Amino acid sequence: MDAAEKANAERQARWLKEAKIGEGTYAVVYRAREKSTGRRVAIKKIKVGQFKDGLDMSAIREVKYLRELSHPNVIELLDVYSSKTNLNLVLEFLDTDLELIIKDRTLVFLPADIKSWVAMTFRGLEFCHRNFILHRDLKPNNLLVASNGQLKIADFGLARDFADPGYKMTCQVITRWYRPPELLFGARYYSTAVDIWSVGCIFAELMLRIPYLPGESDMDQLKTIFRALGTPTEDDWPGHTKLPDYVPVGQFQKTPLRDLFTAATADCLNLLGKCLLYEPRRRVSAKEALNHSYFFALPNPTHPSKLPKPPSAHSSKPSDDLDGNGDPVSSGPGGKAAGPNKRKRKLSGSGRGGKVDRMVSRKLDFGAVSTGSS
Amino acid sequence: MSGPAPTAPESGKKPLYEGSTQFRNWRFSKEQLAQKRSALNVAAVEAVRRVIENDSPGSSKDVLFLSADEELLLVRHYLTKAVQLCGHFRFPEEVEATATTYIKRFYLTNTVMDWHPKNVMLTALFLATKTTNNPISLDSYAAHIPRTEPADVLELEFLVAQSLGFDFALWHPHRALWGAWLDLQNVTQLPPPELEQIYNQAMGHVRASRLTDAEFVYSPAQIAAACISLASPPVADTWMRSKGSDGSFINPLSAMLQEGSKLPGVDMIREVDRRLKLCKNPEKVVGSSAYLAKKAAEERLAAEKRTKKADEIRNTLSGEDPFGNDLGVTLDDDDDD
Repeated sequence: MDAAEKANAERQARWLKEAKIGEGTYAVVYRAREKSTGRRVAIKKIKVGQFKDGLDMSAIREVKYLRELSHPNVIELLDVYSSKTNLNLVLEFLDTDLELIIKDRTLVFLPADIKSWVAMTFRGLEFCHRNFILHRDLKPNNLLVASNGQLKIADFGLARDFADPGYKMTCQVITRWYRPPELLFGARYYSTAVDIWSVGCIFAELMLRIPYLPGESDMDQLKTIFRALGTPTEDDWPGHTKLPDYVPVGQFQKTPLRDLFTAATADCLNLLGKCLLYEPRRRVSAKEALNHSYFFALPNPTHPSKLPKPPSAHSSKPSDDLDGNGDPVSSGPGGKAAGPNKRKRKLSGSGRGGKVDRMVSRKLDFGAVSTGSS
Repeated sequence: MSGPAPTAPESGKKPLYEGSTQFRNWRFSKEQLAQKRSALNVAAVEAVRRVIENDSPGSSKDVLFLSADEELLLVRHYLTKAVQLCGHFRFPEEVEATATTYIKRFYLTNTVMDWHPKNVMLTALFLATKTTNNPISLDSYAAHIPRTEPADVLELEFLVAQSLGFDFALWHPHRALWGAWLDLQNVTQLPPPELEQIYNQAMGHVRASRLTDAEFVYSPAQIAAACISLASPPVADTWMRSKGSDGSFINPLSAMLQEGSKLPGVDMIREVDRRLKLCKNPEKVVGSSAYLAKKAAEERLAAEKRTKKADEIRNTLSGEDPFGNDLGVTLDDDDDD
């Protein structure tokens, strides 16, 4: 046996798969244990053989970035090994995700709880940005929560390094409801501000308990944003009418955030407003956000271990969604995972493995997401 | 090299570079590198000799196996081929830098007697286009390379990824040099055209450094500094002073770069490649009797495993609910571990 094969076999032997906890077109997730310690992990087995161009881009991105990132608020990749034509990612096992928590109507959120989740999100994101990595798919479903309450950013299948000035990036990223207006207008040069907009949407969703800007199509998304935050003027956002896909979508008045978020403090709304600024260059950075007065004002953020979470949420959440597509595959808390084959994801296979630009279209298949999780 | 690893890694406190897989997994002293390669070579020769002996006893004593240095020579030759291909495809600098690093890393755990560098080079380059976010379709990639089918490129992809330990992210000297160039525009008084010329020369040295072991021994910033120093020692001094470095690494590193960028003659490479044909591992030669024997053994093992698994399932099913139990059976569709 070659040295590489041997090392691979040794890696594989460290882990014991116990049960399948979900399946998608792109991957299967198993609950597993580390043999030596009994530590619980999740193994995401990515089916590679089916891709015409070999190892697929989202698997490569995920492995590439998670191998480098080590932070309490970023999911930990414990190991990688291959088996036949599959790539296996050993990830830390996480109980639940923020989407399930938000949707659980039996849970009551205190302002301090929201502050704690938002702070952990910004901490993880600041670390990604400090490492020159854009996440490009932040949404509640990709913010996983460990049994000790720590929030972890997951799913780096769309992540990339910052491009150098002058190099284009695709604008077909970020799930629609969390996608910033510059991407909807087709901007091909963008920055960390795209992730900040997503955090703003998540922040608002934590307070509202429903998605803040749920557009029904890309065009409707812009309208939804403008209805909520007002149509931007040239002053609000210089140059936006020159963006490649700019179209006027109507004039809407800005409703003060205060009208919708009646219970929020001034600090809270100030930070939220800075995440949702139209002009990307003026949007708050993750680092600035962490120094915002919101996080220093009372109430102090809830300790992660004291945060609300679904009852007995400790057995079924795959530590990452199955195909990087955001549809929560677990059957939710309570131990019984969806059996195999029950939740075959409907996916437009079209773009997968193709050009990056097209490949991400699967991400935008929001119909599948909302029906899958409702 | 520099400083002990921090005992309590508190993220945010140590330099980003020190958190990278490159820093943690892919740095060696020159001695370690030599030792690694020679151990690998000895083991490979032994393994190949055993296979040849199994095939026809006594036939291995006339074989002139490659030495570790000869293996390296061939690898370096194919590094230059990778560079040429990158030029042909007009790949960005990063693809070239990534592919060459992948090839060099691959041969720190593998031997050319098992895997010919030509094939590994093609696969590593294709993988590099993907890991650097410059993907092209496999068909159009293979179409531009003579006598290469898409399947040839994919065949080794897993092996290459495994051998890299799935450490795809790299820190490149040309990025460090770019940073240095931006700094230099502030810290030197030189007229811009002159400075640009120095940058371009240094960039040439960075490109040449990809054929050497420098990246295993020194950090990207050190390599960039040495390359500037080869172009203009005073400018390199200015930059390093502005960074608070004494530059003690410059001399040994510059020597390494200059020594390593000398390429062996074509005749020598041809001779090594000719001998490789005679001493490569027959188990890796498709169609040879050793290859067929190995495949048959693997197939036998797999068949046994399948039978065992089928038996288990049958046992579980017999006398029970025909749809099986809740536990156990569901897991078994995972047929590969």
